[in-house]
Amino acid sequence: MTAVSRKVLARALAAVFAVALAVFIIGPLAWLAVRAFADSWTYPNLLPDGWTLHWWEVVFRDRSLGIAVQNSLFFAPLTVLVSALVCLPAAYAFARFEFPGRRFFLIGLFAANAFPKMGLFVSLAALFYAFNLMNSILGILIVHVLGTVVFMTWIPAAAFAAVPRSLEEAARDAGASKLRVFFSVTLPMALPGILVAAIMSFLASFDEAQGTYLVGAPDYMTMPTQMYSLVLNYPTQVAAVFSILLAIPSVALLLAAHKHIVGGQLAEGFQIK
Amino acid sequence: MTTGLHTGSGAPARPAPAASGPVQPDAPGRRRPAGGSARAGQARGFVMALPPILIIALFIGVPIVLAFGFSLGFTGGLNHTIALIGQNVHEAQGLPTFGAYGDMFADRRFLGDLIVTVVVTLVSTAVVVLLAVAIGLYLKFADGVIAKALSALAVVPLFIPVVIASWAILGFYSADGFLRSVAAQFGVDFPVWSFTMVTVIIGSVWTSLPFATLLVTSGLQAVPRAMIDAARDAGASFARVVASVVIPMAGVPIVIATTFTAIGILGSFTVPYFTGPNSPNMLGVDMSNYFSAFNQPQQAVVMAFVVFAIASGIAAVYVWANFRSAKENAGKQAVR
Amino acid sequence: MTSNPTLSRAASHAADSATAPASDGAASDGAPRTGGAPRTGGLDIKGLTKVLGGRTIIDSLDMAVRPGELVSLLGPSGCGKTTTLRMIAGFLTPDSGSIMVGGREVVHLGPEQRPSAMVFQNYALWPHMTVAKNVAFPLRLRNRPRLSKAVIAERVDAALALVNLLHHKDSRPARISGGEQQRTALARALVQEPQLLLLDEPLSNLDAKLRVKVREDIREIQQRLGITTLIVTHDQEEAMSMSDRIAVMNQGRIEQFSTPAELYSAPATEFVATFVGSLNRVEGRIEEGRIVAGGGVLGIRPEDVAFVEDGDSGSSADAGLPATVERVVPRGHFAELTVRREDAVLRSFATGAPPAVGARGRAHIAKWLEFEDGKLVRKGSA
Repeated sequence: MTAVSRKVLARALAAVFAVALAVFIIGPLAWLAVRAFADSWTYPNLLPDGWTLHWWEVVFRDRSLGIAVQNSLFFAPLTVLVSALVCLPAAYAFARFEFPGRRFFLIGLFAANAFPKMGLFVSLAALFYAFNLMNSILGILIVHVLGTVVFMTWIPAAAFAAVPRSLEEAARDAGASKLRVFFSVTLPMALPGILVAAIMSFLASFDEAQGTYLVGAPDYMTMPTQMYSLVLNYPTQVAAVFSILLAIPSVALLLAAHKHIVGGQLAEGFQIK
Repeated sequence: MTTGLHTGSGAPARPAPAASGPVQPDAPGRRRPAGGSARAGQARGFVMALPPILIIALFIGVPIVLAFGFSLGFTGGLNHTIALIGQNVHEAQGLPTFGAYGDMFADRRFLGDLIVTVVVTLVSTAVVVLLAVAIGLYLKFADGVIAKALSALAVVPLFIPVVIASWAILGFYSADGFLRSVAAQFGVDFPVWSFTMVTVIIGSVWTSLPFATLLVTSGLQAVPRAMIDAARDAGASFARVVASVVIPMAGVPIVIATTFTAIGILGSFTVPYFTGPNSPNMLGVDMSNYFSAFNQPQQAVVMAFVVFAIASGIAAVYVWANFRSAKENAGKQAVR
Repeated sequence: MTSNPTLSRAASHAADSATAPASDGAASDGAPRTGGAPRTGGLDIKGLTKVLGGRTIIDSLDMAVRPGELVSLLGPSGCGKTTTLRMIAGFLTPDSGSIMVGGREVVHLGPEQRPSAMVFQNYALWPHMTVAKNVAFPLRLRNRPRLSKAVIAERVDAALALVNLLHHKDSRPARISGGEQQRTALARALVQEPQLLLLDEPLSNLDAKLRVKVREDIREIQQRLGITTLIVTHDQEEAMSMSDRIAVMNQGRIEQFSTPAELYSAPATEFVATFVGSLNRVEGRIEEGRIVAGGGVLGIRPEDVAFVEDGDSGSSADAGLPATVERVVPRGHFAELTVRREDAVLRSFATGAPPAVGARGRAHIAKWLEFEDGKLVRKGSA
């Protein structure tokens, strides 16, 4: 009897916790989303005074906001591509070869995440000034790629390492060349991990604001950096509309890759082996 | 194994290893001494792993060395341009100067912000890890609607750009925000949290939660069911099972989650910039101000190194935890 | 709800059928005397039922294990033996039925409250604790009365000495061999002084040589302590060599519950006959040494088929029917022959120098089992 009532109590506590978490996580987003369609809003009403699509018009008309969208959609895929070219071979090497300095390299990669971001960007400035990378596309690209190196190396490395060697050997034994084995056995099996890495990199680039602002502003504004000035210079509703636009690609990716990310591909990558 | 390292396929063939199986026509690939191919693998692995390392070395290693020199007043070479542009730059006359460090440590506001940064990092990290462990434990021991809801909720922030999150949180806890509006319906005057350190902590927790939850949850899931059953069979209560078996066995992922969370919050800019007060605020905001608004890059770099010093302590814990787990794994494999 | 009143130490010294619970519904038993003096309680299961996902995994199972007895639950994978064990240990809640250990109903208790201790299939040793800490853990949990550090250390040493592992006290589980891990898990179970010891496939992760040694060790320790023990296994050799009695399970039911010898010589069902030992299964019946159509199913053990090559003299040289050797598989100290008679193809065990393939002679069936509707109806011999 007491065991049953204790179970019920535990479930009730868990439900309360879940509702609190929902308010904590979703509440601010929902509150912001409503604002995008709000005419005006009088405190302390829980709903706006009236509804309008006016703010969407403002955003779509504004050229500078459009350019920010374009810039973001330019940098994010480019970052993923460059990062993949640089990092994926390394990921394979970490998973499959034993070479001198391997462990040192792995720890070295960690350095990219061990330095708090803002400090790192401030330190980068001298180099960027010296090589004229300030306010340049290449400069922004470097900042973005730096933020993805860890994802692009560690997560695919764990995915490659998880492919059993015996499967590769079986394909070799069946007469496949090394290259053929890689493309028809290893790569397909590691693909979910690589996909997660690509998505995380895309989001990291899409989300990058501090470094882009320091290096690119005001010449190159991406969507997140545009938000900095938007918040100061426009009505709150415009920022709300812009926020929704900025969240669309992310949420689409969330729905597409939710299973793999929650499935541990991400977590696997963060343990040095 | 190491004696024939230098031979290629042309050398007098060693007898093929007994394990090479049925005779195959493409003998050369197999007949090559094991040492030779291992060495080729080593070289190839090294070359393939090099590009990201070079990028890190070039754009993190070099700048940090440069910046350290700059903070000590070495303004020549690659530091020349930034020293020209910046104001209030202390130059070393042969010996390093601690002028910029002196500027900062004499500044009460900097010291206050340093304390605030450390406190926010500690509090937020503690809350994040506690939440992550609570969610992870619930997912480990229960399933159903609540478990599904918790796991879905916890990853949402991963997909919301930090800028939006900060802005949304600011509005939610503002003077005319949701919490105050709801409280007002009941005639309660709820405090305004926006532009205080409370929202900075809330924002830090909000943005750091998914990553920590994913790491911790996967670590907890990896604890085999039989280990928990064995503890219960031995007479352990649920709390004891968690404290003595589940948490210690997931210790490494929890430490990793803690260090990543702490370093992330320590260097954050967007959350405190949007949601925090003008003063005192976190060092990320100060760095940006000194760098851009005040045009004092040397002082900004000094702050960066203070933050690095704190972070390196955290990073050391991470590396230690990883080596410990690698050692345990090596032991396991040796037995098998 | 008949409880078992005969569970005192004195009564259980007389380890014969008189101490068996009256409700013992399984087949007749004639358990051999076990060496040690049983000091722990028996196990009495009645009407145990478990339904998972609409499928009845365990179907109204009854079983009684006498104090001090070692019983194996033997069956193919998926027969429900592990489910049964997990219900006895408390990790699964049965849908109905009763589980009594030492005369006390435990079905409503959690695993931590039950007087049983389990050795897990993969040993489930906690990797972050040393061997000694693993063994000490159950004792550190005791709080009525709480044990002092000295007492715990003493008991841990005693348990480790019992399994001959004192020298690995401070090793981590990952650093010791599979057999040593197994013994650590055994020590961790024994240190709890359980009334009932449960072992889940205890030998399945050991290599063949070690397996024989470990099963002798387990049997020896079990006899010395006289501890009531239930072993789940799919390996008939393991069950035959260790157990006082064996319960053969199939599809959630016990097909037969008796001594190894009886299981082999008088299998109650066709399933038991095929699962335990080798068997020639032929449809038909035997008339004057010849298999003819009709009747039920014949079960003939290979050792009961004698092949005598032409020209050899022997007691049964002219018994049986003419036969040809089709296949010879050496099995070490004997050979398995496949011989073709005019009425059937039979496997036969031959000791001594085996005949060559193609050799002609006579094959004689000395003993057989007759099954109808899967049940044993007659034992025949010529």
